[in-house]
Amino acid sequence: MATKRSTLLVTALLLLSIAIGRQAEALPSYARQTGQECAACHNGFPELTPYGRLFKLNGYVFPGDISSGPPIAAMMVDSFTHTQSPQAGGAAPHFGPNDNFAFELASLFYGGAIVPEWGIGAFIQSTYNNISQRYSWDNTDIRWAHSLLLGDQELVVGVSLNNSPTVTDLWNTTPAWRYPYQSSGLAPTPETATVIEGQLAGTSGGATTYLYWNRLIYAEVGAYHTLSNRGESMLGVDPTGSPSTHGPALYWRAAIEPNWGRNSWEVGTFGLTGSFYPGRVADFGSDNFTDIGIDSQYQFLSNDHSVSVQASQIYESSTLNSTYAQGGSSNLHNSLVSSHIKASYGYEQTYAATMGYFRVSGSADAGLYSGISANNSPNSNGLIFELDYTPFNHGGPSFWPWANLRIGLQYVDYLKYDGAAKNYDGNGTNASANNTLYLFTWLAF
Amino acid sequence: MSWRYKLVSMTLLSGLAACQSADKQTAESSPNASIAGTVHVCSSCHGMTGRSVSPDFPNLAGQQTEYLVAQLHNFRDQSRADPHAHTYMWGMAKHLDDQTIAGVAAYFAAQPPVNAVALSTPDPVGAKIYAEGLEERGIPACIGCHGEHAEGQGEIPRLAGQHAIYLAEQLGHFRSNARSNETMHMNALNLTDGEIKALAEYMGSL
Repeated sequence: MATKRSTLLVTALLLLSIAIGRQAEALPSYARQTGQECAACHNGFPELTPYGRLFKLNGYVFPGDISSGPPIAAMMVDSFTHTQSPQAGGAAPHFGPNDNFAFELASLFYGGAIVPEWGIGAFIQSTYNNISQRYSWDNTDIRWAHSLLLGDQELVVGVSLNNSPTVTDLWNTTPAWRYPYQSSGLAPTPETATVIEGQLAGTSGGATTYLYWNRLIYAEVGAYHTLSNRGESMLGVDPTGSPSTHGPALYWRAAIEPNWGRNSWEVGTFGLTGSFYPGRVADFGSDNFTDIGIDSQYQFLSNDHSVSVQASQIYESSTLNSTYAQGGSSNLHNSLVSSHIKASYGYEQTYAATMGYFRVSGSADAGLYSGISANNSPNSNGLIFELDYTPFNHGGPSFWPWANLRIGLQYVDYLKYDGAAKNYDGNGTNASANNTLYLFTWLAF
Repeated sequence: MSWRYKLVSMTLLSGLAACQSADKQTAESSPNASIAGTVHVCSSCHGMTGRSVSPDFPNLAGQQTEYLVAQLHNFRDQSRADPHAHTYMWGMAKHLDDQTIAGVAAYFAAQPPVNAVALSTPDPVGAKIYAEGLEERGIPACIGCHGEHAEGQGEIPRLAGQHAIYLAEQLGHFRSNARSNETMHMNALNLTDGEIKALAEYMGSL
C-alpha cells in the first residue's frame, strides 16, 4: 500500500542507494557479466552508446568479469507527482487527487548470457505495478546472434523471440525505448497513439530476424500475434476488451548509422502493418492499420560531455471496417501522426538536462473521440523538461558496486490536450490543468 | 506467396549467409578460432582489424606485440588505472588467461597499421619535441625510445597513426600519474597542455 509514511521511508532509503527507470534497459547484471561500468554501454541509461548497441546486437553475451551467479537484477521506482489541477476522485484507486507520493513499481530481470558459447542471451523483465496493483511480464527479448566476416567487413545476424515491436531496436527513437524513459503513472496523459506505440507490447508474442552489416546498415523483419485471453491472463495482462490480430502483424526496421570520431548519426525507418478484431469479435470484419515511421538519432560522446538527440515521426493510416460497422467510429478511414523529439546534454555521465516535444494529430472522429474531446479530435502536444542526477554510472557505492541510482525532476507542459488548449472536454478543463511536476528516484541493484 | 513461406525464407537466408561467409575469410583478417570470440568483443570498441572509430578507443592495428601483452596484463591486475581503463578494460581483461592475451596481441599486431594523414598545417613544436626533446626542462627526445617513425619496439608502443586525441589524453594521464609509469611521468611532467596537443597531433600524423 502506498501510504505516505511508508512511501517517504522507502524514498529516503532509496536516496541512499541507486535507481533506474521504468523503461530500463540498463541492468546491473550486464555490468556484473562484463565487469564494466554502466557508462561503458549507456549514455545515461537506458540510452545506448555505440558499444552498448553492439552488446545488445550480439545477444547480450559479451564476457568479462564473469559473475558466479545467474544474471538477475532488480529495480524500483518511487516518486512524487503534482498536477496543476487535482484529479477528482483520485489520481488512481488508493491515491489522492494530487500531490501523491508513490512506490510506483518494482521489476525483476534476467539480463545477460544464457548460453554464451552459442550466442544466446536475453533481456527478460517482469514488473509489479503498484498503481494498477498488477504483476505481469514486461519487456522480453531472447535472442541468438552470430557474427562473421565477409572479406574484412563484419556481418552480424540474429533472431529474437520477443513480446513487443521495437523492443529489439538498438536506438532510442522507437516506441519501446524512447524518451521519456520514466514518467508518472499518477498523471493524466493523452491516450491516443498509433498501434506500434504499445498496442502489442506485452499482449503479443513475436519473432524477428536481423542483420547488421559493416557496422553501418541494419535491417530487421518480423511478425507478431496476440496471445489468447488465457495466455495474457497467465502473464499478468488484463485481456478485457483487448483486440486480437487477424493473421500476423508484420514489423520492419531499417537503419544506417555512420560513425566518425566521437559522433554517431542514425537515420532509419520502421513500421508495422496488421489487422485486428476489436474485442476479439470477428463478426464485423477487421480494423486494418499501417504504421510507417521515420527516425533519426545523433550522439556525441566524449569523456566529460555528451549530446544526444532523438527524433521520430509515425504515420498511421487505418481502415476501421469492424469499428465503423459497429458504430464505434464516424469514419471508415482515419489517419494519425505521432511525433517525438528530444535533446539532452550530459556532464560526466552524471548530470543531465533534457528537453523534449511531443505531438499527436489526426482525423477528427466523433465516434472515437467524443468521450474525451469536445472537438472530437485526438490532437495533443506539449513539452517535457527534465533534470537528472545519476551519481553511480562509474560504479556504485563500495558495499554494492554494481548498483545505480537516478534522481530525476520532470515537468510536462501541455500546450494542447485531446483536441484543444482551452476547454478540451466541454467542462471548462484546459490542457494546462494536466501539467505535471514529477520527482522520481530510480534504483537498480 | 504465403506469409509463412516468406518468414521461413527470410530465416533460412540469414542462416545461409552465415555459412557462406566462412569461405571469404583470409588468413590476415581472421584470427585463430580459439581467440576469435575475444577478438570480436575487442573489435566492438577497437574496430574491426584494430582500427577504431572513436578516439576514446586506441587503434590496435600494427601495435607492438609486447606492448599489447603488457597493457592487457596491467588491465588484468588493475595496475593501469586511468579512467577509461577502469570503465572499460578492467572488466574486459579480468577473465583473460595468458594464452588468450598472447593470441589477441599477436592478432592485432599483425594487422596493417593505420595510414595516417599528414597534417596540412603542422605545428613545428610537435616535431621538434619528438626529435630533440626539451633539454632545458629535462624532457628527452621521444625518438630515442619510440623510433624514428614512431613505430615503437618491444614494450615501447607504436605512436604513429594513433588517434591524436587518445595520445594527448595518455600524455595528460602520465603527467598527472593517473596512468602509472615512472619513466613517462618524468618525461611528461614538464610539458604544457599546448605542447602535449602539438606533440600528439604530430605523432598521430606519422
